[in-house]
Amino acid sequence: MNAGVVLRGLLGAALLIGGWELSVWALALPQWILPPPSGILATTWTVRAALLPAAAMTAYQALSGYAIGAVLGVALAMLLALAAPLRAMLLPMVVAVNSVPVAAYAPLALLWFGTGALSKIIMVAFIVGFTVFLNALDGLTRVDPAAVSLLRSFGAGRLRVLWVLRLPSAMPAIATGMRISTVRAMIVTLVTEMLGSQLGLGWTIFQAVLMIDFLQVWAAILVASVISLVFFGVVSAIERRVVFWR
Amino acid sequence: MLRAAWPILLLFALWEAAVVGLAIDPFYLPSIRVVAAALQAQAPFYLDAYLVTLSEAALGFAMGGLVGVASALLFTRLPAVKDMVLPIFIVSQTVPVIAFGAIVVLWFGNTLMAKAAIAFYLTFFPVTINTLAGMAAVDPRQVALLRSFGAGQWVVIRKLLLPAALPRIFTALRLSASLALAGAIVGEWFGATRGVGAMLLAAMFNEQIVSLWASILVAAAVGGTLFAAVALVERAMVSWREEL
Repeated sequence: MNAGVVLRGLLGAALLIGGWELSVWALALPQWILPPPSGILATTWTVRAALLPAAAMTAYQALSGYAIGAVLGVALAMLLALAAPLRAMLLPMVVAVNSVPVAAYAPLALLWFGTGALSKIIMVAFIVGFTVFLNALDGLTRVDPAAVSLLRSFGAGRLRVLWVLRLPSAMPAIATGMRISTVRAMIVTLVTEMLGSQLGLGWTIFQAVLMIDFLQVWAAILVASVISLVFFGVVSAIERRVVFWR
Repeated sequence: MLRAAWPILLLFALWEAAVVGLAIDPFYLPSIRVVAAALQAQAPFYLDAYLVTLSEAALGFAMGGLVGVASALLFTRLPAVKDMVLPIFIVSQTVPVIAFGAIVVLWFGNTLMAKAAIAFYLTFFPVTINTLAGMAAVDPRQVALLRSFGAGQWVVIRKLLLPAALPRIFTALRLSASLALAGAIVGEWFGATRGVGAMLLAAMFNEQIVSLWASILVAAAVGGTLFAAVALVERAMVSWREEL
């Protein structure tokens, strides 16, 4: 990426925020239509005592669900990569279950696991697990059959093929799945929190909407977006280190 | 049709076998027969929810897809604007924009427009980004060749760039179909009285596990309808592409 493109990108962001701020003042827009960026920042600072524990809770749920889901997703994909007949039977069903939007399963998780952190962690693990699983399985099964035959002809067992060939060549696909999953983990946490919880940014947003407190909605979204960006950035940085040959 | 149906039938069979065989507490998983009976007994309600949520999601999804492709085309003609706007679009894909649904509902109230607007922006950004990426992947020599035959910018877009970007556009559309539906459902949580989201919420608050599962199946039906529509359009477009 050259300097000119970066400069234009920064200019675009500056124009957006500046134009937003200016048009709010120039058109005297009421806060419920659009609060100015400066007002959102100020509110985020003044309600920081309430936002901070909510943000910590949201980050905790998203991260633990993410870790559990990623491990389970890769493990399940490795298992199914070894068993082709089982894969042919299970995969279409997995895709069918996965095509129902998360939002539809969230009420179920709340009924089963209560309004505490557990229901959010399980929902996140479920979605992240699916995403990582589908990506990992795609990577594990998309290897050169000739390379598999070659390894097998040298007497390598299925496990050995998985370890030396399939897993390394699936790394880019697994990394992609884990990168996409960061955003999904945050979305699912917020959406499930909106339905019912005691603490969390999604709950803050839902309560603020009911109390028609527009600035607080914007402030909570701002904090959630920052967490999401940091999460995405950290996972992308790790990805560049691990999958350096990409 | 049958190929698409068998995993669902198998899933239902496994569901029923698990409920009967493992004697699962109906609080966790009621029998599919009970759920089907509930769907049948209150068919008008569930049909209404299906139609309401489908129209919200489909309206926003269709608009988002069209405007997304159109704005990508506009950006290819205005590269300076593209460089300024695209990073913002990409950042929007890494933050939970669905949370803005709360603000959209505050703006539009509990109307069809509010949910359609959420579905719209959840579709618009990925479609724009992927259309641009698809067009950028075209070999510049092919563009140069067409230009050397005297083709104008519009002809290059219509004959070369857009057809080449179609696979990525449809990948984005499939992804955004479920996003648009999720947006419509979440939008209904803020006080709507009709739609799948409202039914999910009511079933949860009343702890009616059977109607909760029935609502989940209705949500799946809405999603299936959107996916089928995308697949139909894709098939039509792909045949046109092969003629080219």
